[in-house]
Formats: sequence, C-alpha cells, structure tokens
Amino acid sequence: MGTLFTIYLYAADSRQADADFGMAFDEIDRLDASLSNYRPNSELSRINRSAFREAVTTDPEVFEFLRRSFDYARRTDGAFDITVGPLMRAWGFFRGSGHYPSADELRQARASVGWQKVLLDDAARTVRFQVQGVELDPGGIGKGYAVDQAVSKLRESGVESALVDAGSSTIYALGAPPGKDGWPVQVPRPQDRKQSIATVLLRDNALSTSGNYEKFFKLDGRLYCHIMDPRTGAPVQGVLQTTVIVPQATDSDALSTATFVMGPGKSIKLLESFPQASGLWILGQLNAEQRVTWHWPVVIPGAKEAGGFRGSRSQAIHQSKHPSKSKPGGDSHP
Amino acid sequence: MMKQKMMNRREFFEKTAGAVAAVSALGSATDVFAVPPSNRVNLGIIGPGSRGQALMRAFLRVPGVRFAGVCDVYEPRFAQAHKITGEDTPTYKDYRQLLEAKDIDAIVVATPLSFHEEHVIASLESGRHVYGEKDMAKTVASCDTVYRAVKRTGKQYQLGTQYHYAPWFVEALRQIRAGKLGQITQIYAYWHRNNDWRRPVPNPGDQALERLINWRMYREYSGGLLAELGTHQILFALEVFGAMPVSVIGNGNIAYWKDGREVPDNVQVVYSFSAGPTLFFSSTTTNHFEGMKICVYGTGGTAVLTEAGGTLYYEPARPNSAVPKELVVEHGVVTGASFRAELPYTGPGDAIKVPEDQAGNADFLACRSFIDCVRNNRHPEADELSAWNSGVMVALGNQAIETGERIIFAQHATLPG
Repeated sequence: MGTLFTIYLYAADSRQADADFGMAFDEIDRLDASLSNYRPNSELSRINRSAFREAVTTDPEVFEFLRRSFDYARRTDGAFDITVGPLMRAWGFFRGSGHYPSADELRQARASVGWQKVLLDDAARTVRFQVQGVELDPGGIGKGYAVDQAVSKLRESGVESALVDAGSSTIYALGAPPGKDGWPVQVPRPQDRKQSIATVLLRDNALSTSGNYEKFFKLDGRLYCHIMDPRTGAPVQGVLQTTVIVPQATDSDALSTATFVMGPGKSIKLLESFPQASGLWILGQLNAEQRVTWHWPVVIPGAKEAGGFRGSRSQAIHQSKHPSKSKPGGDSHP
Repeated sequence: MMKQKMMNRREFFEKTAGAVAAVSALGSATDVFAVPPSNRVNLGIIGPGSRGQALMRAFLRVPGVRFAGVCDVYEPRFAQAHKITGEDTPTYKDYRQLLEAKDIDAIVVATPLSFHEEHVIASLESGRHVYGEKDMAKTVASCDTVYRAVKRTGKQYQLGTQYHYAPWFVEALRQIRAGKLGQITQIYAYWHRNNDWRRPVPNPGDQALERLINWRMYREYSGGLLAELGTHQILFALEVFGAMPVSVIGNGNIAYWKDGREVPDNVQVVYSFSAGPTLFFSSTTTNHFEGMKICVYGTGGTAVLTEAGGTLYYEPARPNSAVPKELVVEHGVVTGASFRAELPYTGPGDAIKVPEDQAGNADFLACRSFIDCVRNNRHPEADELSAWNSGVMVALGNQAIETGERIIFAQHATLPG
C-alpha cells in the first residue's frame, strides 16, 4: 500500500502501549502482505497473476474484501473501480508523475479496465478475470480496510482512545482523548496543505480526504490528476479535494475517491445510504474554488449546502468562476 | 488512578521492487492442485493463535480445503477462527475431542513449542497426517519420540517452515549447489527486530493469561528467539551444508527488555560443521538494522536472502599469477604487493529470478504442498528428518546458551533408528 501509518493511543503504561502498538502494526503488516499490489508475494498479486488463466480460490477475508470493493463499483456505476490500475499506468501515475497517453496506450488500458470483467463466485470463493490484463489495485480502499482492522484489534485489546492514521488521507478516531469530546482532525486546504480549511471533532468515526494535488501533471494549461474516472478513461477534472466522514474507514476511503469522481450532485444519493455521512467538496480552480458541503458537522466559510444540488460538476466550476450568474447548488432544485 | 500516556509511533509500508505481474500466461500449465469439489480436504487445527490463524488463511487459499474443527484452550480464539473460516466451524477445548471427529483428514498443530510433542503424536496416532508448526519439539528426547511416531504411524508429517518452500530460497539453493558461489565456508544469519516481542493481554493482571498469550517469553513453553526465528535459517544452512554440525557455542541474555520475561532478548550461536564451515546466527529485539537476512559466503561470491527475495554478488577476480603484472615501487623497493582497502562491497548484484509460474507467497506454497501430500500420500520436502535435524540444532543451541559450554552433538543426539 506504500503508506505511512501513524497510531496515537492512550494506555495505562508504556508496556501496554507497546503491546497495543505492536499488535495493531502487526495487523497492518499482515494486511499489507495480503492485499498490497506492490508486493509480488501478496495474495492479491497471486490473484492478479493467475485469475485470467484460471479461477483462483482465495480465503474468506480476501474474498470479502474484493466483494465489498466490487459492491462499491456497482453502487457508483463504476466511478469507484479497483480495476483502474492499467489506466493509472497508461497515464504514467503508477510509478511516475504522469504523462498524456497515446491513443493506443489508452485503448489498451481501457480494454482491461472494468469491474464487470471480474467474476466472483461466492460458492466456490474464487476470482476469475474475463479478459487478459485485468489487475486489482486496492489503492482506493485498502488503507481504510487496514485502519478498520487495526482499530478492531485495538478494541479487542481494551483500548478506548486512539487515532489511527493512514497517510493522513484516512483517519479513524476511536473514542476520544480523556476529558475531551473527540479527536480534533484538520481538513487541509488544497492550496497549502499545512493550513486547514476546517477542524472537526471525530469520535468513533472515520474521515478520508482525496486531493488532486497528490500526483498530477500539467499540459497546455490543464491539470491532470492521478484520480481516474474509470468510465471515461481520463483523470477527473475540476475537483480539487473531497472529504467524507462516515462510521467506518473502509467506507470513508472508498467514498472519498467515489465522491471525487462523481462530484457532489451524484454523490448525495450514495452518501444518503450511509448513516451519519457527511461530505465536503472543493471544486473549481485553486484561485477560484467553490466549496460544497453535505451534512458537514462544522460551518465552512463560503460553502454551499448540497442538499438540493443537482448541477453537474462542470456547472459547479462555472459557478465558481462567475458567482454572480447563478446560485450554486440551487439552480436545478426540483 | 492509572497514569495515562500519549504516544505515537510510525511505520512504513515498504514498497518492494517490482510491479504487479498483470498479464496472465495463456496456455501455461494447468493448476495441478485444482481438484473437483468431491475431493475436499478437511483440516482440524490445534492452536489457532497468531501463527495458527495465518496458516488457516493460507490453507483456505488452496482449492478444496476447509476447516472442520478448531481446538484451543483459550475460547476467544473460536470467534477469531470463525471470522477466518467464514462459517460456524465446530470448536473444541480439548484436542482429544477434535481428534475423535470423523470428518477430519489432517491436523495442523500450532500450539506452543512445549506442547508439540503431545499434540503431534496424538494426531499421528489418530490416523491423521500432520502439518506441525516448527520446531518439531522442544528437547532432543522429544524430537526423538516425534520422529519415531512419524515412522511408526506411516503418516505424512510436514514441518511448518515456509522458507523451505519460498521460491527464491529454492532457486538460491539450486545455484549454490551448482557452484555459483564457489565453496561455501560461512553462513551468517540474522533476525533482528526492534520490538518487545510481546502481545497485549486483555487483562494484564491475569498472570495465567499472560503466560498463555505470551508463552514465547517463558522457558517452560518456549525455545526463545533461536526456536521461533532461527529455525528458518538453520534449515537453510542444513540444506547448503548437507550435514549436521559437530558442535555449537552460544550466548544470550536479557539486555534491554527487563520486563519479567525469561528467554533472552538477544542470542548469538555458532555451529561448527565437520567439513569446516560455520553457521553464525544472531537475533535481537532491540535493533532492526539487519532485519531478517541470510548471507551465504563462498569463495566465489555471496548470496543475500531476505523475506522478500535474494541477490547474488560475485567476488572480484583474484590475481592467480605468481608474478604480478604491474610492479609497484614503494620506498625504493620493488614489490608485487599493493595495498587495497578492505571496504565492504556496495556494488550491484544479480537478483535471483523466480519463474512467474513458481512465484508466490511462501506460506501458501508450503500449505499447498502439504495438501498435495495429503491427497496423494506424498512425502513432504520439509519432512521428519529435516524437522529432527533443525529441532535438535535448536535444542542444543539453547543448551549452549544456557550452560555457556561448547555442546558436542555426538554426545547428545543420535538420529533414532
């Protein structure tokens, strides 16, 4: 997963804390060894190597992880898709900072991308690729899953207050620091991530942020980020950052990517299916951003609530640049 | 009121070299391990703790395998095991009840070391094949009785040691045996880590539970770092040298973790083999610099093996001519000698390449191989002889650590006839 994990916790003494840290990081290591597509010996790499040649039996945990990942693909109409790897490679984001692909590169990549190209057999617990070149990339959900499992271990051990952070992009707050209402977590500003756009108190909740600044390149004045829309085969444009808060980190991790791709308008129905969900979108350009929220727990200056938001993403950007022309978020309310 | 402390710690997920092998090989050999559903192998496990659970996941990746019984004296393991199997697998608190179940073909033993002898022998005598987590047993005498039980029952016994099946270890061994590194004179093996090797106990004041969960810390149950970590490297050295050592010296103490544990937090042992070579093993829990590493030193080169892969390095060509080609004048004296700094080699090496169809996770490959042995009554690679050899080396290595004496193998161990 190539991610820095950080854990903060309260414990009775250093010995108990060391044991809890060790157990939680062992769990994260275990999942990395199983689900990483960077490790050639991981279970996921074994599936990627073999699942076109034959149906690959895997253990219930990995199978359930894949089933859950594909459930997201179904619920988002493919906006979230863990088969997106070949597109990432075609656009040069797999190990580099990106480049514009040739038409042939793009055609080849798109031919092997698509969640419908993977067959999961519940009864046999097997994974099968229907076309050659499919690969599973857990980048959009694996960190969150690892965080949830580490939190589960901490709970089993009796830890009542902890913060588990995966690369600062997915964070779970277990309980709250003693005497406090929650763990303060800052949402970064896309322009300068050392500054925050909001501070929220998290308690038994997960927060994930996806940004277009993590990997990108510029060409002819346009910015191409590493977050792909698997349905178009191209990087998402016009979205700077999304942040989602939901009760589980697996969900928040996947949803921050999905809502980035879908934009606020089409994300609401998805978020409504999660209890206690909230979302924050920063749209447009760095010097002309538009902030859109949905059930966000604190007031964001200048933000519009997306309750009736029905505009497309491009409309939202337009509104940001020309705020006097229309009311953001309310233009197509039924 | 208990003191509360704020702590933080960071760890990296290592990005290992090599992209995902995305393209499947069309038309390559079919999976010899694919089986019809009717040919299921039902496993029982005694001791689904941390290691046992890892084995359960690995076995469940083999087509046709399911767990038909789970046994542990610690009941919270049952829920954890059910989460892994994804079904309501029958549970037992007494291993004898598990062994009475009719629908079990083989037993996985992953209990604390001191119980291996009892659980493995009972499983064999129940007519089951056994996958026995290393080591074979805790003492030389116990290794003898397990070895005899395997021979007496005629059942298959595979030692739980995944590196025996790791493709890069297998390939390195093939190249070493082919002479790529010249004559092997030393193996230096490390398993260095920086953590307390301790697992959290839900109720820290419960001493019985502490000894149950942290059994590796207590001599009654554990062979310490040499048994839990060194066995892997010892097994590889046995394959390289092809013989048992003649003696061992050892050292071990508690240098840092003075927290009530009884086994050393760092150990060093040196095994001497009759033909001259040496195996040095070091393990510590206070520094991670070396990590898990095996360095095989030969007159022609070095193999460095880790958990992720291996690399071969070759010695620079040595001048074989009696007359130096270039003479050097030092202080007016003509000499053929010149000074060369003995700096460590830092250049590139040749990564050990594993054919794609042989690649894979070592745990999975070990488990898959065992299931093939069960289905076909095939003799395992990591068999009772490998298990007896490594078990005895660990037992006598620990004896050397505890006594401070050089232990002569011929005086303490003879392979049962």
